[in-house]
Amino acid sequence: MIEANGVTCRYGRTGDGGSDADDGDSVVAVDDVTLSVPDGELLVVAGANGSGKTTLVRTFNGLVEPDDGTVSVNGTPVSDDLVAARSAVGMVFQDPRDQLVAATVGADVAFGPENLGLSHAEIDRRVAAALDAVNMDGREADRIASLSGGERERVAIAGALAMEPAHLVLDEPFTGLDEPARRSVLDRLRELRTAGTSVIVVTHDLRELLGLADRVVGLSAGRVAVDDAPREAAAELPGLDVRVPASFETDGSPPARTGGADDP
Amino acid sequence: MTLSYVPGDSLAHRLDPRSKLLVQVGFAAAAYAHTAPRGLAALTLLAVACLSLAGGGPRDLWTYRAAFPVLLLAPLVAGATLGAPWFRVERAATTGLASYRVLLILVVAAGYVRSTPVRDSRAAIQRAVPGKPGQFLGTGVALVFRFLPLLKRDLLTAREAVRARGGGALPVRERVRLVAVAGINRAFGRADRLGTALNARCFAWNPTLPRLALGPADYPALAVGGGLAAAAVASVV
Repeated sequence: MIEANGVTCRYGRTGDGGSDADDGDSVVAVDDVTLSVPDGELLVVAGANGSGKTTLVRTFNGLVEPDDGTVSVNGTPVSDDLVAARSAVGMVFQDPRDQLVAATVGADVAFGPENLGLSHAEIDRRVAAALDAVNMDGREADRIASLSGGERERVAIAGALAMEPAHLVLDEPFTGLDEPARRSVLDRLRELRTAGTSVIVVTHDLRELLGLADRVVGLSAGRVAVDDAPREAAAELPGLDVRVPASFETDGSPPARTGGADDP
Repeated sequence: MTLSYVPGDSLAHRLDPRSKLLVQVGFAAAAYAHTAPRGLAALTLLAVACLSLAGGGPRDLWTYRAAFPVLLLAPLVAGATLGAPWFRVERAATTGLASYRVLLILVVAAGYVRSTPVRDSRAAIQRAVPGKPGQFLGTGVALVFRFLPLLKRDLLTAREAVRARGGGALPVRERVRLVAVAGINRAFGRADRLGTALNARCFAWNPTLPRLALGPADYPALAVGGGLAAAAVASVV
């Protein structure tokens, strides 16, 4: 379980701190957020640009250190063991090009497990399993530069999965993807949740995700404005400049599309 | 086109990176020791063989195009004099041979880069140089090879963005300034994001390194590398 208690993050802090509001020198990106993510849950963190979504989820594995409050993963404060937190919380960035660090698919997926100091046999097993999970098995030798956007996204997910995280965070995973690639990523998310991995998806567009989510947290100006089941949250999210479908099903299947009749 | 690792099954791909590094070092030493045309002719054949055995060809040398004007101009500058006879052919020839051997070393390096995964290079360096210095050197090499292609792509994108908005009509100096400023901005952003990505994936100074093992094909390569190094030493002594 991931637990955030009173998390506040400021940017451009001048050191005088202490204020929870913008003071002209600092911007409060995340403002006193308390939430928990149980194991196996598919949580959507929604909000408009600049609402603090990315900053919040980056505290989950210590990429951003909160100015106030604490984050713990499986009962251990993130700040106490960054490697444990980063192993337990896999992160897929908004732009996979920022995340892929090797020339070939296999080398990139192996990068994280190698850093954990695992045996070669275990690294090979994890790479094969992670690529299989994203439908890219047997493509270890493919060059990253030759992949399409959707394939890069899937390799980025595989790179996170190879760490065998209990929780997977995906930051705007559908940005720049065409429809088949979006469906492919959605299928992978569905399978991951079925396999017991909790999945946290950051987005400002819930059209594909609302039917899949167990819970939706809406952020506005760094604060939690909505924290509810998808159906109940859907009514309030448009007020946060989040796109939601006009209708959706909650049986885990792809959401029903309504011919472009999405709410603004 | 950026020179980088290209997956393949060529002979060079099957060689241990340590063998290839020894060939490179030996080749560079021999190129600097044997500067006569006959020696450089022999090294030319070897350099072409190295690139061919890595599955490469002349196209790979396009990566070095920025260096070509310097290599071509150097003999002309060296031969020029401020007074009569205005140009000394022997000086130009000596510098021309020096430029040529630099080109040969670049050809061999191209064969290495296209046939060796970055993490194998890191493993070879960390095993050849023990302790912290090896970790530092290996990580540095790995980061440079990972970062440079991204940086180059950012610069090209900046140049295209300038052109797409009519910047092609601007004076060269202004275009260079625009691309440089945008490129530096993007480089800092890229470095920041790369650092974040490495952190997110538990970057370690001493990770599990890929398996390296010398095979039957490595022994001739080691002999070639050792022979080149010995020839270089023999010519100096």
